[in-house]
Amino acid sequence: MNIVARLKTKDEISHLIKIGTDIIMLDVSGFTAKPINSLDQKEFTHIFKEIREKQKKVYAYMNKMIHETDLEQLRSWISLFSELDIDGIVINDFTVYVIAEEYGLGKKIIYQPGTMNTNSFDALFLANKMKGMTLSKEITLDEIVEIIKSTSEIEYSIVGHGFIDMFYSKRKLITNYFIHKQLKVNQIKNNHQFVLEEKTRDSIYYPILEDEVGTHIFRDKKLKSFEEMKILEDMISDFFIERLFIDDEEYYDTIRAYIDNEARKKFEKKYISNFNSGFYYLPTEKTKGERHVD
Amino acid sequence: MLTELLAPAGNLYKAKIALLYGADAVYIGGKQFSLRARASNFDLSMIDELVGFAHEINKKVYVTMNMVFHDEDVYGLEDYLLGLDKIGVDAIICSNMIVIEKAKLLTNLEIHLSTQFSLTNSALANYFYDQGVKRVVLSREASLEEIKMIQDQSKADLEVFIHGGMCVSYSGRCTLSNYTVLRDANRGGCAHTCRWLYNLYQGDKLISDDYDFQMSSKDLEATNHIKDLLEMKVSSLKVEGRMKSIHYIATVINTYRMMIDDYQAGCMRPIDHYQNEIKKAENRLTSHGFFEGDTTVEQQLYNSRSEVPTKEFVGLVKAYDKNKKEIIIQQRNYFEPGDRLEILMPDKTIIHLKTQTIKDEEDTELDAARHPLQTIRISSPIEVVENSMVRKIT
Repeated sequence: MNIVARLKTKDEISHLIKIGTDIIMLDVSGFTAKPINSLDQKEFTHIFKEIREKQKKVYAYMNKMIHETDLEQLRSWISLFSELDIDGIVINDFTVYVIAEEYGLGKKIIYQPGTMNTNSFDALFLANKMKGMTLSKEITLDEIVEIIKSTSEIEYSIVGHGFIDMFYSKRKLITNYFIHKQLKVNQIKNNHQFVLEEKTRDSIYYPILEDEVGTHIFRDKKLKSFEEMKILEDMISDFFIERLFIDDEEYYDTIRAYIDNEARKKFEKKYISNFNSGFYYLPTEKTKGERHVD
Repeated sequence: MLTELLAPAGNLYKAKIALLYGADAVYIGGKQFSLRARASNFDLSMIDELVGFAHEINKKVYVTMNMVFHDEDVYGLEDYLLGLDKIGVDAIICSNMIVIEKAKLLTNLEIHLSTQFSLTNSALANYFYDQGVKRVVLSREASLEEIKMIQDQSKADLEVFIHGGMCVSYSGRCTLSNYTVLRDANRGGCAHTCRWLYNLYQGDKLISDDYDFQMSSKDLEATNHIKDLLEMKVSSLKVEGRMKSIHYIATVINTYRMMIDDYQAGCMRPIDHYQNEIKKAENRLTSHGFFEGDTTVEQQLYNSRSEVPTKEFVGLVKAYDKNKKEIIIQQRNYFEPGDRLEILMPDKTIIHLKTQTIKDEEDTELDAARHPLQTIRISSPIEVVENSMVRKIT
């Protein structure tokens, strides 16, 4: 199982590798929603080569929804990835796969739409078309295992740690609210300080982030998967660790914790609160009251 | 090819009303596999009846199967698809590859890609066309300019939403409801968490006032852009709202039918005319959505969460008694003698009359029509057809 980490600065490449990162995922200017460090093509190429020189793999993170007006620039990026012989392209919108196929790069695609990879048939359909699929974030551990058993002809991955997103709108919801309230607009875009508080339940705070492509809302608690990795470690190829809203020290400790048992014990002593197991043991229901009593 | 007007229908009667009031096709959900679980009460026998009704008047029926399947949901899928094929539904609307592939393998059903896939470009439209998908429903986030570009490049037919509620998120990409209340937004359980009230903080600083941060969007209303969409020759104009009332469906469908027919006849009326008609339905506040590009504060719904209730719809015409020259009405809202009424008929005819007397089924004169679903009679020298909508002019 590879640990996939997001890069914040060029200066930390060696450190990420030193602590055990197998694959470094780079943001792509104009195509990464919720970016940490958007790179233009020149910067991307430079950092890509530096990571490759250190014998590590590089993924490009292209999780924006692709509109008609994005297609030309998308082809430009895919062409660059072809030249670089990139190791993987992590996508949200299936369009990127379609364009990558034009360049013979379909087998570099890791399909990570968040909500769509939810059944065994999806795995069978995507197998042999692309490199991998990231299983959806709202399915149970049992469902994950069942899907993985369905075929070995595709690599499986999960986003297993961190603040997981649960909403992606094209609307600039924070900016619009500031305008509506006639509030002085300070820096809103890519500002990680905004949180929403529910009215009906006490002390539930959801991080909310506005960026170039819209607005994103995240779970109130970080997902952790230490126990589940005991089951999944040999079944998945890539384990993505989300970095948003986590400081550098905690992020590095997180990477170590998924590699080394002693580091995990230290992690669990140091960071004790604000985690949950997401949907691993919580099946959702199709209609109110189907499974869960209110 | 003429552009189709496509209407929602939550039950058999609503579907018939939509078709009678000018929809070229209706889309419905079955008891299984549809995203609007609460709005989906069509079993196969009802679908069979509706398809028979629609085909008799040269109209179409599409069945939505647009939930995101988990392994546990697959049971019965093949039999269901075979059942729909046998009935002769005109298309299925789906978002999961399992449905597309099974439908191709087992049936001759026409396949449409649901907006749940949030398709916003021609490259993906053409991919799905090559996969056997005849039509794609565009994401509501596409602007008019983008729709035109996609239409110019797409091999697949395009279906465009023109009216009704809008997800705040890209459709199919939201798990707010899953996380907050364990109801699966992508399997029909959406709890509309995006319409809840929140406080907004920046760090520790409270920005909002008493939970007035809202994400809700105004409903979509495209009267200003119908002409553009017709000129682009998109295949289908779609109205949202399988949960809506028969009056809403009749009013909205009738208005867009008028617009399309007037455009095709080369005699469009001032836009106000259509907008005033559509306002007679019980809408939330409306806007043009993304048609004019990125949304602004004008497309958001602040401090006004509920539908604007209307008392205008006072009755549904069940029959006309030619001997007594009386309209037999099923009462829906209060009205009384002296009230001026407007009656909308399925063929777009509108008549006005003043209520003289109101009588119950025993011919007893009433001081008012005050009981919902009561059968009443009012006099009218003009014959009014069954399923006409009676509104009070306020």
